Order: sequence, then structure tokens, then C-alpha cells
Amino acid sequence: MKSFETFHPLVIFAFFAAAIGLSMFFMHPAYLVITIFLAVSLNIALRRGQFFKDWKLYVPLFFLMAIINPLISHNGKLVLFYINYNAITVEAIVYGLSIATMIVSIILWFSCYNETITTDKFIYLFGKISPVFSLTLSISLRLVPRFQQQLHKISNAQKVIGMDYRSGSLLHRIKCTLRIISILITWALDNAIDTADSMKARGYGIGKRTSFSLFIFERRDGIVLLFIMFLLMVNIWASIIGTTTFYFYPTFSIIQWDLKNILFYCSYFLLLAIPIIIEIKGGIEWKLLKSKM
Amino acid sequence: MQKRLSLIISLVIIFIFIPLTLYAGIVLFNDRKYYFISIMIIILASIPFFLSFERRKPQPREILIIAVMSAISVTGRALFVITPGFKPVAAIAAITGFSLGAEAGFLTGAISALVSNMFFGQGPWTPFQMFMWGMIGFIGGLLGRTGIMHKKIPLILFGIFAGILFSFGMDIWGTMSLYGVFSMEAYIVALTSAVPFTIVYAVSNVIFLLILARPIREKLERINNKYGTFQ
Repeated sequence: MKSFETFHPLVIFAFFAAAIGLSMFFMHPAYLVITIFLAVSLNIALRRGQFFKDWKLYVPLFFLMAIINPLISHNGKLVLFYINYNAITVEAIVYGLSIATMIVSIILWFSCYNETITTDKFIYLFGKISPVFSLTLSISLRLVPRFQQQLHKISNAQKVIGMDYRSGSLLHRIKCTLRIISILITWALDNAIDTADSMKARGYGIGKRTSFSLFIFERRDGIVLLFIMFLLMVNIWASIIGTTTFYFYPTFSIIQWDLKNILFYCSYFLLLAIPIIIEIKGGIEWKLLKSKM
Repeated sequence: MQKRLSLIISLVIIFIFIPLTLYAGIVLFNDRKYYFISIMIIILASIPFFLSFERRKPQPREILIIAVMSAISVTGRALFVITPGFKPVAAIAAITGFSLGAEAGFLTGAISALVSNMFFGQGPWTPFQMFMWGMIGFIGGLLGRTGIMHKKIPLILFGIFAGILFSFGMDIWGTMSLYGVFSMEAYIVALTSAVPFTIVYAVSNVIFLLILARPIREKLERINNKYGTFQ
């Protein structure tokens, strides 16, 4: 049961744009902790088993990035030890860890994005801003599986006339593969002209293009979108007045824990937690409905 | 009028928005937000290309041929999924550029990157990949006008150049994601550690260009003669 997916594409896109944009931006430790925590939670909520498979990729990446920075950067006041007269500092290590956290969270956000913004949603969104580009994109996207099918057909037909690309000497195989690709390209280009003429015959370019979609902007979409916008503004405000600024060099700046800052941290948490809150709400509703049955 | 408007918008983006973003990155964000700023700049730099295509109101035939060339390079990328770096995408974008001009080359490269990442997963690297492959197609288009790309030696040189360009461009992204900031020292480390990849890019470009350039050019010319698509 994934409730966040059922929201209007605009809402989902706005959330990811805000989340990824802000995650790239904030290097403050408190913010980083919030980011990585919520990115991991959303990943578990949306991708379950898939996420635990990907861990093998993220952990080495994380440590690689964390190790490289202190070797490159020798700034900072708290020196741990020296390698070849180059200081290895606490600041550089922590900075490397922070960068690693940031990058891993962005990759995690993107894997959630890939899960929720399917291609039809993407084309629906960009069809309004850039109709020609998204038309090209959607034709191209559709052609890929078609070409794969056609490749299969062509290679079967070639096999019958003794041009099997899987048998014979290496030279023969290469020759057959090139033949198949050449046939595919000729076929594809000729076919493209047919499609284009058919589009023209049906009046492409005369009026405004209509497109089919099942997405309806409901009231709940409006509410969530307003919420995202409001929290985004609050966070931009926080970064303008300097709440999110944090210096690693020459030495760490102090993390503030007064009420104002805690409220800003909460607003960031709330913004990134929107899909998780929606998922949890959906889950509870589903359980309640089931228990009533 | 249509054309002029898109030119004005492009000029505004290139001469006002991009420097403004750089300025904001240096002054407002204390020269620390390279990652964010670089992605913003790459996106801004790609806008003029898409905008001029959009405003020109291209004919269905142009749209279809660009879509077909992108789909072929995506299919090619999917076929060579097991060999890292050894992909025909840059070569096909360049060949499209040779025959159909700089704009078509850019769009083929950029759309190939976007569409193939729809299959393999989008990430923060998508805008960089789109821009780099698009640029290879664009430069291919500019060189194609001179007519020297029919010969073998310029083709080989272009393949090597495109491999190095792609590697240098993607390493800017790589450096910034590994170190958070862009330092020349780190960039050189990244470039030297990426040398095997650069070689694979260059070699694959040369191979695919040598194999594919002539047949695809002939096919596009044939379509052009038969239907008179791109004048």
C-alpha cells in the first residue's frame, strides 16, 4: 500500500525538488542527521527489500568518500597525526563524513524519486512546460522496447538465411551483428517517416495538442502542495538568516539549541517527513478499514 | 519574431542568469555550495538549446528522426550494459550531429541520456550526462558543416576528443560529489584515477564512429533524398 504515489504528480515532484534541493544545500550537522534519517525511512517505506539489497553499494561509497577528504584537505585546527608532513585533522574527517552523508542521502532521494515519479508522470509534468520536447521524449521512450522487439525479429529472420549472429567465427558474428543493426536503423528511419506523415495527416501542429492523463488535482493535493511551499519558504528563510550555516574550517562552529533554531530544525523535519506521514496515515486507514470488515 | 525572442531569452540566460548564479554561489553561500550551483548552471546552460527547439515549432519528421536516433542509442546502451563505459551513445549523438546539424546532435545526446536513465535510474548525474552527451552532438554538428568528418583521421581524432571531453565533464561532477568543493588538486586526482575510463570512452567512441558513421550517414541521406526531411 503506497499512498504517496497516488498524489498528483505536481505534488510529488514539488516534494522531491524541495527535498533534493535543500539536501544539497544544508551542511549543518543537525540538518544532515534529519536528512539521512528521513531519506532512509522513506526508502524503507517505499522500496522495502530493494533498499536492503542496495546497502552493499551505499556503505562502501560512504566510507570511500569519508576517507578521501582528510587525505586531500589539510585544513583545520584539531590535528590528529601527520602523514608525510601533511596534517590529518578532525575537521577534515568530519567534513568528509558530512559530504558523504549528503551525497548518500541525495542518491537515496533519487531512488525514491525513481520509484514514485514514473515516466508517464514525468512526461505529463513536462508536457505543459515544453510540449515538443516531451513529445520527442515520449516517442523515443516508446521506441526503445519496439526496437528491442524488432531486433529479435530481424535476428530470427537472418538466422533462417544463414546469418546467425550466435554461431560461426568471430568475424562472421561481428558481420551478422552489424547487418542486423544496419537493417534495424533503415527500418526505424523509414518507419519514423511513416509515423510523422500520419501525425501530420491527423493535424499535428494546427491546434493545441491534447493529451490523455488520469491525474486529477484534488483538494488534498492542494493542501499538501501549499504545505510543501510554506515549509520550503520557512527553510529558505532559515538559510537566509543563517540558521543553516555551519563552518568546518578553520574549526567547527557551534550548534545552537535555542527555541528559534529548534523550531527551524522541526520545520525541516516536517518538510522531509511529508511522504512518510502520508504513508503512515494511509497504513493506519487501511488497518482500520480492514478491522471493520 | 519567434526566433528573436528565443535568442533574447538565451542571451539573458547565458549573460545574466549564469553569472548571477556564480555570483550568488561565491558571495551569498561563501563559495561552498559547489554541488548545488554546478547543477543549477548545467540546467541553465541546457535551457537555450531546448528553448530554440521548442520555439521553432519543428515538423513531425524532425521530431521523429531525433526520437529514433535517441532510441537507437538507448537501445545500444542497453545492449552494452555489461561493459562499463563502452557505449555507443556519444558516437550516435555525434553522427546525428554530422548529418543533421548541431541542434539535432545536442537533442539526440541529451534525450538519449534522459531516456536511458529512465531505464537505468535517474540521479544527480543526469543533468551532467545530458549536457556532456548533448555537447558532443553539438560539436559534432559544428564540425559536420565543414565536411571533414567523412574522412577517417578526423573521425578518430574526434572520437578521442569526445571521450576526453566526456570524462573531464563527468569528473567535475565526480570531484564535487566526492569532496563537496571543487579543488584543482582533487580534480587532478579524479582525472588520473579515471584514466582507464577515459581510455574506454575514447576507444569505444572511435570504434563506434568508424563502424557506424558511414552507414548511418548514408541512411540519413537516403531518407533525406527520398522524403526531403532536413533541408
